[in-house]
Amino acid sequence: MMGLNIDVIRENLPLFLEGLGVTMLISVVAIPAAIMLGAIVALCRLSSLKILRTGALCYLEILRNVPFMIQVFLIYYLLPFYGFRFPAYVVGIIGLSIYASSYFSEIIRAAILSLPTGQLESARSMGMSKLQAMIHIVLPQLPPYIVPPFINQSSTLIKDTAILSTITVQELTMATQRVQQESYDFVEPLVFAAALYLAINTIMIFTMSKIKQAKST
Amino acid sequence: MLKELNNGQDVELLKIRGLKKKFKGVPALCGVDLSVNSGEIVCIIGPSGCGKSTLLRSINYLSEPDEGEIYLNGTPVKPERTGIFKNDARLNQQRAKIGMVFQSFNLWPHLPVIANLTLAPIKVLGCPAEEADKRARELLEKVGLSAKARALPSQLSGGQQQRVGIARALAMNPSLLLFDEPTSALDPELVQEVLNVMLDLAAEKKTMIVVTHEMKFAEKVADRIIFMDGGKILEQGPPQSLLRDPKCDRLASFLNLVG
Repeated sequence: MMGLNIDVIRENLPLFLEGLGVTMLISVVAIPAAIMLGAIVALCRLSSLKILRTGALCYLEILRNVPFMIQVFLIYYLLPFYGFRFPAYVVGIIGLSIYASSYFSEIIRAAILSLPTGQLESARSMGMSKLQAMIHIVLPQLPPYIVPPFINQSSTLIKDTAILSTITVQELTMATQRVQQESYDFVEPLVFAAALYLAINTIMIFTMSKIKQAKST
Repeated sequence: MLKELNNGQDVELLKIRGLKKKFKGVPALCGVDLSVNSGEIVCIIGPSGCGKSTLLRSINYLSEPDEGEIYLNGTPVKPERTGIFKNDARLNQQRAKIGMVFQSFNLWPHLPVIANLTLAPIKVLGCPAEEADKRARELLEKVGLSAKARALPSQLSGGQQQRVGIARALAMNPSLLLFDEPTSALDPELVQEVLNVMLDLAAEKKTMIVVTHEMKFAEKVADRIIFMDGGKILEQGPPQSLLRDPKCDRLASFLNLVG
């Protein structure tokens, strides 16, 4: 059994934890932002105005067919041209929010479309506007259809933050690479990083399912 | 034709002219003209696919006609168009005056029965909550479901759900009530309880347009029965003459089948 050098992890623990902190910060900010942006895009796709529908479709097609890494590089290099000089992690948050919004938008749209149309018909037949029907009939019934896919998607996005290391964001993967370069130990830092990612995701999923249980009682 | 005001009788409430509708090239309505006066009870009968549901759903614009005009109290029932924008404000006001009862009830499953009845009056008519609640309870009493005010629709039988559906339509105090095969989705033993509610409404001289297969009900309640086939009105008249002595062959064979 190959001896694992725990010392390298112990010595560099602050670095790992800092990286973990940045990963979590980016996730906690980008995911809600992506959900809100995704909701707007979903409504555009369902709009009666053709221009909104087409615009939303183009937005989605671009974001889902270009690799996340390329998207992030583009934003990182293009923003300074327009006068925006943000720290790397802010660019990371922006990139992740935009990319993730495309997935959340499709989850929301699918949930809205899965509601039986009869309910919307009865709402509109009584004089409710589309907005009122959306707020009072559609929205309250969405949670069971969107929470499980949201949790899955969030888990994927937390893992995708690793890609932000390519634009110098000091998150967990970048920290891992620094420890590898400085200590010439390549395996232990990776194993530890994997364990930390596993821990975040497990805790997140566990917490969400506890909240779901509490809400349904 | 618009008749003179006469004690609220003979006022033309609904006017439909030249209604045409195709679904993916298949004609559903081929030029329908219809007038309904205030207080009149009209039953529409006909074989499956004759366009009766499409006609009914066009009245409150749930189905958008390809051609033709629909007027409620003289005002057209359709969205207003300003440039590329469609404005539903006037249509929503019209719809608030038209109550609809659906074959599949279409209650809102996440709201208890009482909330199903109060939501639209509060949000659309701006009715204060206490008043809406009071009216809702009166209506539940009327349809015999006072005990179920806090129940969820899923806890009710089909007949009970449909009675809630009727109460919900009544909560908006509509000038016109539309019934789209209200008992077709019900088990036979539950049909009568819904028909009884509708009989009470008919006795109160509410303006009703009922698409139905219940011939005995239609005969009892209708001022006028309309027979449709192939997207057209083929014959209409008082139940006694239409049902006993049909002039058109297709109506005669339809009545033979349905009895």
